[in-house]
Amino acid sequence: MSKIDQQEAGAPAAPGRSSPHVTRLRTELGRIAAIAAVFGAAITFWQGDPFILNIMAYTFLFGALASSWNIIGGFGGQFSLGHGVFFAIGGYTTANLYFHWQISPWLSLIPAMILAMLVAVLVSWPTFRLKGPFFAIATLALNEVALVLANYFDTLTGGPRGMMLPFNAGLANMVFTSRLPYAVLMLGFLIVCLVVGAMVLRSRLGYYLQAVHIDEDAARAAGIDVLRVKLSGMAVSAALTGIGGSLFAMYLRFVDPPTLLSIQDIGVKFLLIALIGGVGTLYGPLAGALLIIPLEFHLRATLGGMLPGANLLILGALLVIFSLFMRRGVVGAGQALWARYRRTKNE
Amino acid sequence: MLSFLNIVIVGLLLGGIYGLVSMGLNLIFGVIRIVNFSQGELVMLGMYGAYLSWFFLGLDPYLSSIIVVPLLFLLGVVLQRFILQPLQNEPFMQIFATFGLLMFFQNLVLAITGGTGYSVRSAASSAVITMGEINVSLPRLIVLIAVIVVALGLNWFVTHTMPGKAVRAVTQDRRSARLMGINVELAFMLTFGAGAALAGLAGVMLAPIYTLSPQIGGNFILAAFAVVVLGGLGSVWGAFFGGFIIGLVEAFAGYYFDPALKHAIWFLIFIIVLIVRPGGLFGIAGAEEMGLREQD
Repeated sequence: MSKIDQQEAGAPAAPGRSSPHVTRLRTELGRIAAIAAVFGAAITFWQGDPFILNIMAYTFLFGALASSWNIIGGFGGQFSLGHGVFFAIGGYTTANLYFHWQISPWLSLIPAMILAMLVAVLVSWPTFRLKGPFFAIATLALNEVALVLANYFDTLTGGPRGMMLPFNAGLANMVFTSRLPYAVLMLGFLIVCLVVGAMVLRSRLGYYLQAVHIDEDAARAAGIDVLRVKLSGMAVSAALTGIGGSLFAMYLRFVDPPTLLSIQDIGVKFLLIALIGGVGTLYGPLAGALLIIPLEFHLRATLGGMLPGANLLILGALLVIFSLFMRRGVVGAGQALWARYRRTKNE
Repeated sequence: MLSFLNIVIVGLLLGGIYGLVSMGLNLIFGVIRIVNFSQGELVMLGMYGAYLSWFFLGLDPYLSSIIVVPLLFLLGVVLQRFILQPLQNEPFMQIFATFGLLMFFQNLVLAITGGTGYSVRSAASSAVITMGEINVSLPRLIVLIAVIVVALGLNWFVTHTMPGKAVRAVTQDRRSARLMGINVELAFMLTFGAGAALAGLAGVMLAPIYTLSPQIGGNFILAAFAVVVLGGLGSVWGAFFGGFIIGLVEAFAGYYFDPALKHAIWFLIFIIVLIVRPGGLFGIAGAEEMGLREQD
């Protein structure tokens, strides 16, 4: 596979190539603040509509999760299909601590994050020896093992019946009577993920990850400790995914194996959203979530009753179409259009 | 002792199923170096094909292979030509595309059937062969025979016929094969077609054993990956013996540990093999990276 091919496959734009200048972290933080302001305004505008607020909460959450996946999957080019495992670890950690010991979910975000990170590093240590499709298969298998284990160890997970979390409304319990605080909470998480993503992208780790993505052997030859870079990227990505799992568990107040570990609804959803938005770009995953999540809600509402699985049917078709014709997602397509527009203007 | 023998028989029969399902995947994987995540769904389509021919034409499921297998061959050719060929040097996009196909086929069938489970009856369905104290159900025995026939046939095809030799040449070195006048794209289309046809055959053979559901492909795909990785990429005998190894492991783990954990156990074996010897037991070391090498 040539380097140019890989770049089309969603590799981050190499400095001096398709993006003539590298934006500074301060600029990115400004953009993220603008995004926060726009979404904050959207929440205020629709604050009385629980249906829209629910869609917004999901959109922000999955935008954040796809952004987290993007740190190792997009920047680092390690196509993990097993991020559902870290998501489930977060969800189960928070659910257990809240259910058995009434520990505030705000506090349990920390163990959720650390556990997800630890497991990610432990399982990635061996699997990072594998490349491309083999890495994808191994992570898919990990997700399936986690699903089997979650069904089996029912003292920890409630088994196939799942765990219902008690409804004790209050800020300390992260349980709210209205959907408004949840939308705000998910927006906050989205902003955290975008900021972390921007910081990684503009740090030594980010440049190393991109180097590993574009050409692993060349990166190694240049003196980069490839395994360490991949593990660091994975740790950051998994930690954020774990937090996402915790928030999701508190939003649903219910956890069971299919909700947290479904490969089509969770594990693959992250990369699907990232692909449709633009793999390896900072805002691509968010753009993907803004398109996919409302579309899915719409499809489920209109077709779900008649045609079960219609939403996944269309997502599957989109996955094929985007991989064939829009490899760099909507953000990549937008950038290409913008570049062409500027070229014609200069001529 | 009897229970031990019983477990071995159960494991071998299960291994036959896994081996049969893996043949097509291994062919595609070994030759085109594409990880076809949708292979299990092709098996599932084969099963529903058997159901449709049984329902509308009254064909015995085993006979319906004369319709289902060519149809899946055509589907495979079309998928290779229009979806995978444009993605030839894009391993990441291949993952997306074949996973998209998985979701597409699975949910297409779900949308059409509404999730009702179907079962196909064959004259052989309930037949049981008794050997001493051991009972073997005939459909499972047929699968075991089928996998032996397919393995022998496939092996003969790639070693003794010109198209088979062309396929092997393409596997070893695409560029040189092209220079020798082999139409690489055509070879890939035929290979993917054959892989899909084998999936169809597996589906037909399994239809009398399982209750049909749109998600059934998921039961096979990871097992098939495990078999292919364990046995060795692109090795016909690798898939054959890999199937039996996985089948036996599952049978023993199910008996001596806990049936609920059997999957976890062979997944672990699979991951260990993937890490210790990614080329597989029968594969050539380093073969797993061929697909990532620059080849065109």
